[in-house]
Amino acid sequence: MSRTSIVVLVLFIAALGYLFSLGAGGTRKLQANVYQFLAPFLSSGSGIQKQITSVRSNLKSLDDLQGENNSLRVENRSLKATNQALRDVEHEVNRLRHALNYRERAVFKLVPAEVVARDPSTWWRTLTINRGKQDGIESDMPVVTDEGLVGKTTTVSANITVVLLVSDENCRVATNVEGTREQGIVTGERVAGQSPLLNLNFLSKQANLQPGQKAYTSGVGGVFPPGLLIGNVKDFRARELDGQAQLVPAVDLTKLEDVFVVVGRK
Amino acid sequence: MIFFLVLMVLVFVAQIAEFFIPPLDWMSNAHVYITPVLVFYGAMALPPPLLLVLVFWAGFLLDAVTAQIIGSHVEISFGSSILLYAILAGIMHGLRPLFARGRWEVHCIMSGICTSALLLGQYLMLSFRRGSIFFSREVWWQIGGPGLLAMIMAPLVFWALQWLARATAYPYLPRRGLV
Repeated sequence: MSRTSIVVLVLFIAALGYLFSLGAGGTRKLQANVYQFLAPFLSSGSGIQKQITSVRSNLKSLDDLQGENNSLRVENRSLKATNQALRDVEHEVNRLRHALNYRERAVFKLVPAEVVARDPSTWWRTLTINRGKQDGIESDMPVVTDEGLVGKTTTVSANITVVLLVSDENCRVATNVEGTREQGIVTGERVAGQSPLLNLNFLSKQANLQPGQKAYTSGVGGVFPPGLLIGNVKDFRARELDGQAQLVPAVDLTKLEDVFVVVGRK
Repeated sequence: MIFFLVLMVLVFVAQIAEFFIPPLDWMSNAHVYITPVLVFYGAMALPPPLLLVLVFWAGFLLDAVTAQIIGSHVEISFGSSILLYAILAGIMHGLRPLFARGRWEVHCIMSGICTSALLLGQYLMLSFRRGSIFFSREVWWQIGGPGLLAMIMAPLVFWALQWLARATAYPYLPRRGLV
């Protein structure tokens, strides 16, 4: 073995030893710095990907366009009729909203963010969003859409953040089920197929949840505020010691483009 | 040296590209990995000191984008991918005499096997940390699928890198190459 090889090998082992000795804090800092370095590349890549997707979706055949035109005409007539009805509803909603002082009841302060990259690995389900410390984001903040819970922030750099999805096995959310006193913990599956499901564990054996029942965050644990929709019950099974339900996530986690980070209360 | 630097840049670009390659739903959501194919080519083409640097770079990037910090602990220590890459690249490096004779198929087959081994290693480590292990059909697809894809990609990558090696006058080349 040459002297160069030995020197490089010693340096390699030393650097590896140093990395292995890093704790959670050190790893988080190192990871945040690497993500900060990668941020411009990820943003550019995301832009290129969107352009490619846009070009691909715009390439349609004449038959497709004719069919789309016909269906749009029908939809247009239907929408005109609906629009008139909605004007009345809008008026009523505005009145009720004013009465309930809705804006003051909306307790969350939200930071909108765009998804720039997703799932770079096989075993962990994550997203990368284009907001970070500069926008007031920190680790362990809930991430939502108007449809429900998406996950929580993990690694945060200056202007990029990694979000651990609710469909990951490591993301645990204290949950209660509507119309029942049942409480449990939602986790993702370690290996998911095409459409990920969530497991709601530690229910009572007698829970007997019905398909379609909604599961919300209970607020226990402090990371997720209560009342965020997680998903709908798909099925329930009583096990030897407890009950387990499978949930269909409220948010389609495979097609996310825009999310909100809950940075606090108003 | 120029070829080595090109390889380092390619590893970086491949790692970024993997963010934007969607998993294949017809293959139980198996991911497409380009970086291991590049690293395992490097394992056969580079001398040991440069190979160690390449392995460190690739493993560092992989850990940086995948390491999960759960509460106050790191699920799989930062550096574990470097170690996995080093072991697998070391095995590939042992096949260097075959590569030197221009046997490109060794790289292709071993790239696939080693890519799957890398994923299997990660899966075993995270299963150990999470305290349970199972092997379902999806697990096997997500371990084996990327390996199969790597095997398919490998001849093209091999050919492109051979071309690059010649273009940059890299002195260590197989006696009977594809280009």
